[in-house]
Amino acid sequence: MKRMIFGATALTLLATSAVAQDVTLGRFFGDCEDAGTDTSASVGEACIIQSIINAADAELDGISVNTLPTDWGNYYDQIVAAYAGGTPPNVHVMHRHRVPEFANIGALADLTDDLEGAGIDPSDWEPAALEAVTYNDRIVGVPMDLHANLWHVNMDLMEAAGLVEDGAPILPTSPEEMLEHARAVQEATGQDYLAADFAEFPIGVRVALALIWQQGSNIFDGDTATIDTPETRNAISAITQLFDAGLSNPQLNYADSQQAFLNGEAAVLVNGTWVVDFYAAEAARDDEGLNSYHVADFPTLFDEGATWADSHMWAIPSPLQASDPDTYDAALQVLAFINEHNIDWARTGHMAVRTSVLESGDYAALPHRSEYAGTADIARDTPPSRRYGAIQDVLNRELQAIWLTGKSVDAALADAQADVQDLLDR
Amino acid sequence: MTRYQGTRLALTQRQAAAILLLPFLTVYAVFLVYPFFKGVWISLHDWNLMAVAFNPDAKSYVGLSNYERVMWGSNITWGAWASPGYQFFGLLGLGTSVLLYRTGRAGKVTALAIGIASLLLFVLPGFHPGEDGRWYDRRFWPTVGNTILFVGLAVPGVTITAMLLAAALDGETRAKAVLRTLFFLSQVLSVTVVTLIWQIMFSPRQGLIANVTELVGGSPIVWLTAEGFAMASIVIATIWWSLGIAMILFLAGIQDISKDLYEAGALDNATGAKAFWYITLPNLKRTITLVVVLQIILHFQVFGQSHLMTNGGPNDTTQVLVRYIYQTAFRDSELGRASAMAVFLFVIMGGFSILQFVLGREKDQ
Repeated sequence: MKRMIFGATALTLLATSAVAQDVTLGRFFGDCEDAGTDTSASVGEACIIQSIINAADAELDGISVNTLPTDWGNYYDQIVAAYAGGTPPNVHVMHRHRVPEFANIGALADLTDDLEGAGIDPSDWEPAALEAVTYNDRIVGVPMDLHANLWHVNMDLMEAAGLVEDGAPILPTSPEEMLEHARAVQEATGQDYLAADFAEFPIGVRVALALIWQQGSNIFDGDTATIDTPETRNAISAITQLFDAGLSNPQLNYADSQQAFLNGEAAVLVNGTWVVDFYAAEAARDDEGLNSYHVADFPTLFDEGATWADSHMWAIPSPLQASDPDTYDAALQVLAFINEHNIDWARTGHMAVRTSVLESGDYAALPHRSEYAGTADIARDTPPSRRYGAIQDVLNRELQAIWLTGKSVDAALADAQADVQDLLDR
Repeated sequence: MTRYQGTRLALTQRQAAAILLLPFLTVYAVFLVYPFFKGVWISLHDWNLMAVAFNPDAKSYVGLSNYERVMWGSNITWGAWASPGYQFFGLLGLGTSVLLYRTGRAGKVTALAIGIASLLLFVLPGFHPGEDGRWYDRRFWPTVGNTILFVGLAVPGVTITAMLLAAALDGETRAKAVLRTLFFLSQVLSVTVVTLIWQIMFSPRQGLIANVTELVGGSPIVWLTAEGFAMASIVIATIWWSLGIAMILFLAGIQDISKDLYEAGALDNATGAKAFWYITLPNLKRTITLVVVLQIILHFQVFGQSHLMTNGGPNDTTQVLVRYIYQTAFRDSELGRASAMAVFLFVIMGGFSILQFVLGREKDQ
């Protein structure tokens, strides 16, 4: 009897392992418990992506997808360590800005010739999305979105300050005008004009970068750091004038700045596309705080439009492609499934990457979508660099030093210039 | 008895010891000794973590250049008053060690240890970039300074609080036993839980501390992002977290003190605080040395509190050595450079371990 039970168990195990191809998946976006498999009902980045993954696990024949535990803040450290240890996840999400770092040493599988076979049509991708996943003319990933910084607006506070016209917020066209608007909001409502995470993640850096790009400048050019410039000073003073006048609080971190906006304590929150559905849901709730929510493109305070933008994409490690064709095929199918569900992911507020999705009625019907239709045209980022993460950290440290610790702009920019140059020289 | 004769393998004591030690030595060699020497070896190379994983030949031997890039700079000169704060204390320490030795209040070795530490404190901060010079790595020494500041605040904080708690909670009543358990409980939490608890405590919007401040009419302090409070907040969280072990060591030390001493003291009117000062404290000397040195070695390795609560900020004021090593290795993939910093940390901690060894031996004589 015992033997029979053992035998049966062994057989079952053998059968399932022969049928189900295990695919391990690494991602950030945070945790979602009970995401379910309904990809059209979930709310927020974490739950939408997990519902898509769960659906892939349930619907793809013979493939079981196993989401690895990873932590947002240390995601890339974990991925780098996993690659170095020879155990990267079979598929993992990453940002476009990380492509040079990984593709430069051949860590990412070249998917160019295998996409069609897996049912992924790269010609359906927007040019910007195709560019995001292309390295040395080869496709090394499947794009999932274009995301960017937006202005999230509390219309009640703007209305009270007389800053609404034809149902849309009146946004500043120069730093001076921004200060006037901020004063008007404070006089009419007693609340801050602008909130953003200036104290934790590099959201404040992205605001400053947008204002630098709007003047036609950048923080480095090839191997030369170009941080200590009049354009950077203009960008910084456009922000610090609000802090100095008490119209914005630089000490709020990500959660606190978001809470301030949701509590109705700030007229504008600068944050990404990833929270549009969440804020819309919060505004719809019948309580104090944010009730009338509007989204706007990042306004042009200088010469040309620009806002920080990036892309989420999925990649497969090259060693998997080289040594394990079965798992590689299964991984490709998972990517095809995620690509199929581009419209569900766009529900977060991110911009879709597939032309067929962008032109669909479903996409146009997503809440607030028309309010930031101009963002795709002004999307920018710093030049590609293997040192992107470290450079962002330098900027975040030095800019925070200016607005949190009173370090002089001269000293901070000199230090940032030296540190970034040092990184570019390495 | 005779049954076994001739069939048993006769082992000398030395052989038996070797066999019994073998499992430990194997594990020790594979997981500690080998990685250590590998680390030193890596520190002599230009070694990109990711690149070497894909191509083992992507590393190159660079000698001591990683150490130079991390610790040295161009045009570095030395001045006796380059950073008066540290150097004054260095001189003060030198004077103290001579005085202690001359008056016979410290042994030769103790005096020598204090003397060497003070000499280092006088000499090392004297190095600074001269005209047109700069440190190759602007952040390394300030990071070392932050780490020393953290140790300098956390170690006395833990030691004094734990000692007072131990003195107060030494006894047989049920309440004291419950309190001892409660104070020890925080020690078993992981760093992620501890930092989460304290992040909530320190939050200016929803934290307990902010609520209390507002209740008494003050405006809440933004602990984690204010330059003057960030280091204090990670020190407070650390003291709360690492109180337990130190308290247990002190309790053991206190229970070792003969009750006769207290009875004799009581006859001379020494009770309460007086008894603590004249009887408990002198008898706890060895425990205090042990706790202090253990804590120094432990807190030099601080990482989670800084990484999870403040991200090393604001303006690098809570950036500590292990976090810098971690970022250099895993964010920047510069394993060689990171290993050089790790070897530096090893030297510091090795120094304190030797100090403990020396102090412990001296007391035995």
